[in-house]
Amino acid sequence: MIAYLQRTLASRLKHGRSLTLLAVLGVALGVASVFSIQLLNRNSLAAFSGSVQSLSGDADLSVTGRTPTLPETFYPKVLATAGVSEAWPIYRIDVAVEGHPGLFLEVAGLDLFAAGRLPLVSGDGAGDGNAHGTDALAAFLYRPGWVAVSPALAEEMGWSVGDTVTVSSGSRLADLHIGALVDFRRHTPLAPRKLAVMDIAQAQSLLGRRGELHQVDLKIDKGRDLEEMRRLLTAALGPAVQVLTPEQREQNAAGLLSAFRLNLTALSLISLFVGVFLVYGSVRATLVRRRAEFGLIRSLGGTRSQVLALILGEAGALGLLGAIIGVPLGWLAARLNMGLVSGTLTNIYLLEEIERLRVPADLVVLALLIGVGGALAGALQPSLDMARKDTRTLLSAFTLHQRADRLAPRMAFTALAVGVAALAFYGFYGRTVRWGGFSLGLMILVAFPLLTPLIIRLVCRPIRVRRLGLAYSARNLLLRLGTSSVAVAALGIAVCMLVGVTLLIGSFRATLETWIAGYVRADIYVSTKSWTRAGREAFLTPGLVEELTTLPGVRSSALLRRFPVMSGERKIMLSGISFDLENSDYILPLKSGDSREALRRVRDEDATIITEPLALKTGLGPGDTLTITGPDGEVHFTIAGVSRDYSTESGMAYFSMQTVDRFFGPGQVNSVGLYLKKGLAPDEAADGLRARYEQLPLEVRSSRDIRDGVLQLFDQTFAVTRLLQVMALLTAACGIALSLLVQARERISELALYRCLGAGRGQIFRLFLGEGLAAGLLGTLLGAAGGVLLALILIYVINPAYFGWTIQPHWPWPALLRQAAGIMAAALAASVYPALRGSRTPARELSREDL
Amino acid sequence: MRRRYTSVLIILLLLSASSNAGDWAPVTPAGRQWSFPADHRSHPEYKTEWWYLTGQLEAADDPGRRFGYQFTFFRVGLLPERPNLDSLWAAGGLIMGHASITDAANGKHWFSEVLWRDSPLFGGFGGASGAEIATCMGPAGTSAWWSLDAEGDGFRIRMEDRRQEMALELLVTAEKPMVFQGPGGVSRKGENPGAASYYYSFTRMATRGAISSGGASLEVNGASWMDREFFSSELTGSQTGWDWFSIQLEDGRELMLYQLRNSDGTPAFGRGTMIPAQGDPVYLEMSKDWELKATGNWESPETGISYPSGWELIMDDQGGPGTLRLTIAPIIPNQENVSRRSGLAYWEGAVTVHPAGADPGSPPVGRGYAELTGYGENNRPPV
Repeated sequence: MIAYLQRTLASRLKHGRSLTLLAVLGVALGVASVFSIQLLNRNSLAAFSGSVQSLSGDADLSVTGRTPTLPETFYPKVLATAGVSEAWPIYRIDVAVEGHPGLFLEVAGLDLFAAGRLPLVSGDGAGDGNAHGTDALAAFLYRPGWVAVSPALAEEMGWSVGDTVTVSSGSRLADLHIGALVDFRRHTPLAPRKLAVMDIAQAQSLLGRRGELHQVDLKIDKGRDLEEMRRLLTAALGPAVQVLTPEQREQNAAGLLSAFRLNLTALSLISLFVGVFLVYGSVRATLVRRRAEFGLIRSLGGTRSQVLALILGEAGALGLLGAIIGVPLGWLAARLNMGLVSGTLTNIYLLEEIERLRVPADLVVLALLIGVGGALAGALQPSLDMARKDTRTLLSAFTLHQRADRLAPRMAFTALAVGVAALAFYGFYGRTVRWGGFSLGLMILVAFPLLTPLIIRLVCRPIRVRRLGLAYSARNLLLRLGTSSVAVAALGIAVCMLVGVTLLIGSFRATLETWIAGYVRADIYVSTKSWTRAGREAFLTPGLVEELTTLPGVRSSALLRRFPVMSGERKIMLSGISFDLENSDYILPLKSGDSREALRRVRDEDATIITEPLALKTGLGPGDTLTITGPDGEVHFTIAGVSRDYSTESGMAYFSMQTVDRFFGPGQVNSVGLYLKKGLAPDEAADGLRARYEQLPLEVRSSRDIRDGVLQLFDQTFAVTRLLQVMALLTAACGIALSLLVQARERISELALYRCLGAGRGQIFRLFLGEGLAAGLLGTLLGAAGGVLLALILIYVINPAYFGWTIQPHWPWPALLRQAAGIMAAALAASVYPALRGSRTPARELSREDL
Repeated sequence: MRRRYTSVLIILLLLSASSNAGDWAPVTPAGRQWSFPADHRSHPEYKTEWWYLTGQLEAADDPGRRFGYQFTFFRVGLLPERPNLDSLWAAGGLIMGHASITDAANGKHWFSEVLWRDSPLFGGFGGASGAEIATCMGPAGTSAWWSLDAEGDGFRIRMEDRRQEMALELLVTAEKPMVFQGPGGVSRKGENPGAASYYYSFTRMATRGAISSGGASLEVNGASWMDREFFSSELTGSQTGWDWFSIQLEDGRELMLYQLRNSDGTPAFGRGTMIPAQGDPVYLEMSKDWELKATGNWESPETGISYPSGWELIMDDQGGPGTLRLTIAPIIPNQENVSRRSGLAYWEGAVTVHPAGADPGSPPVGRGYAELTGYGENNRPPV
């Protein structure tokens, strides 16, 4: 039997080329989608853990502040705790490299006397321990700006030991002297290449602030219980810090990214689903053609299970082939989209960027399994069907299509049942189970294909055919319901996803635009390069703030100080704002209530305004109390309002600057908003400011620049979904081609008859084209309807559960119409080859009987 | 996988190489204007400085139970000036503490060390007045700080290492006047007159207090020896280390000897001081006045370094009849201090002194401490 399988497989590849090719391609595209997304997901986490491992790989525990920094006096406190065997302080700061826009160094300030673990290498690339390498190290203490960078970055930038690099931290500039190379990849293959190391004294003094640390890593005595030490340290150090294992820190990052990853995964699975459909269609079509072959096998003594195994074996082989093509394809897709995902990670989640795409072996295995499994799933129903038939039926002619026609109402009824079940599930569990919303999405994906045969029947039955034209083509969909409904359904799902996601993104973007218009009220914003990157401690010096706010032409100003804090176990952003309520139109757009009254309470009563994602995630609202861990323990604030906000998914709380200074200690400003006197043009004034502060690493942006920047970031964030949409569409187009190819074969006698009756090749060509168009049109319409439903579910059910933003529905008509035209074009293009095949059918084929 | 540790020693060596010795105050052959008690405190203009206490103790309620101890603060100058940085981590030097206890009865040796930046965060060397001479945070896992304070006519030392359950709290009081180890307090370390240190000692100090080594605290009494040295360059090119001895003889005399060794192990330069029971010290020269011969070896199971163990000392019996022949023997062989933080290992241990040929079981005629540095590979002290 296996030898037979090998033979038939080979002959299928030879003779049924196009059919097989399309099925393989479908699987390949589906696998590629899933693989590329999983690859990006996995690498985005690996980037963070690479950074954790580089610096804290040896540590048993890490102490970090619940406020962004912790006083450095915590370091001796950690060391003095019984059971601690070693501890290392870390001061980290991201600095922008001047003259290289977009290049940031992640500087880790370490105690280079204690941190003997550094994998230092010399400037000329020789191994460490030699005089050249360590001689450079000896200077870390006394040579101002001594820094060690990674060999990878040095090579990329053309830097070598002895070079000087100017960097900016906030509005401060510093010259860093490359004193050595440090290759963390020697022990941490995923170490970020932009990680740089300097002595903590230099890092604090030149780039940051004295008296503060970001982290203390520690090792505990052998034989001590890790969890007990964690409790002991937490108790000893007080509520202002958290003590976590490196694994826990990685888990936290994974938690942060979970929504982002889940959504991409869901979208990629849709692509796979479309691919599985294709396999289903292809298997069915070939089985119909080969029924006589199976009849023969059965009459020669082959059992049902042997036939089943034969068919499934073939499908599995096709799936494997598809997966083998899909894996490199997915890698390519991931590689091309790495920059986009990386941008999202650094901009939105404040995590490390992906620098290298690594392919874990288990993911490849998973992709292969998905390919084979998907193909088997697609082949299961038709092959069971075939195996069940007795020998006589197999050897006599039958058509699949009559059966599909008969089944249509029953399938529609199943669709209805699925819909009711999903709604019931959501009704019962939607509030308690976070992923409840996905059941509704799944419902659409399952119900629509089931409805397709009935809908084709309803649409095509009334069509009256008078000549060999478009109506004939449409009517043909009905006659060939078995294959056409699969093609239409596959296209429908792809379109459904396309439309759903387009609607979601379009609505989101429109909402964002409205919000920016309300939120970005100042004419000019001044911040720093390192602030626009990560918002981690990038300060404007007090003198500069003073100078900016008193410039002639400035009517009033708003200051912003922002840093992450912990509210319970939740990390949120805290924004201190100083604003001139009387003389500016500063507002925070609120979900409900009066913004100015809420701002007055923020200013006068230490109240807070929290953002919508925070409100949704915590269930807090106006009048409730928000608890935040300050340097001296928990502090409670009354919530004066909930603002619309799209700037951070983790949630944010606004306070007056005075409140922040009082409860969290004084600090410096990150960003200044300037309101200009009447008659001054913001863009010109911004140019003027840029020229004036040319020597300083400032980011001067007019309100329009900000708007453009936010939208650009938005587009970048969602660009990855476009990849998936295209994948699904390509797969669906394959489906149309497949369906028509099947017809070109199955209808050889019929086509030959037409030719005998005088039909020209052009007519038959148009017949096929027409059928492709009709299928495309039906699929598009079906998909559009499903897509609208899907968009509503995404906007109103899944988004609040995972992100918590209000999104106003918006119809991006131009984009939708463009897409519709694209789909039709794809359907048409997919029909060309089958149409050519069909039109070439010679009249003599009429004599064939083996169909 | 064990990560490579860049030894602080290498850093120190290279720092000494890269920072110009001329930036530090030199030891001048003519000596200095001494001023006590102010000179007991730190001299930051010199590169290296130490306060070195060693002694032998017995349990207050069990005089047969004997211990040796060492307690040292080192000031390691890295830069003549503190770097001009706005950070408490900016330090011009390091503070290093070493402490050890040897329990003769059960043959055990404990060693503890600290190494911090000379920063208010971790400790430092007290100012011109006040009791504090040096203090710093204890080793990791220990909340108590280490300290050396002036107290009355003597000094109080405190150290604790909670992980090793090791602690010293001792009050040492001078029983004999302070002694300069060389004319004018200048102690030569080589033929080049620049290779020298300022060096003075309290050679006999009554000691009482408490020690813990791996268990409960024990009241102790005994005798200590305190060395004070500061200098900017000591070992010269070919020298790799030294053997140093401090001996308190039962007849009321004390003896200090050191010999610096060449890299081939031969003695390069040596000096000594004999302090009579009363009266002025007598300065001695190696070869001319005394000769020291190692009579045995001990190989450290931890570092694999082979140290001499047991000596025969032949010297002109200053003020006595004829020649003095003494046998010096460690009270236990393993008194090696392996300093993980500095990457250095040295042998610092309690010894007993017998007349040559006497029964080693007989009561000793003297007790003291020996220090052996620079043995093994890459183990040259950074001074």
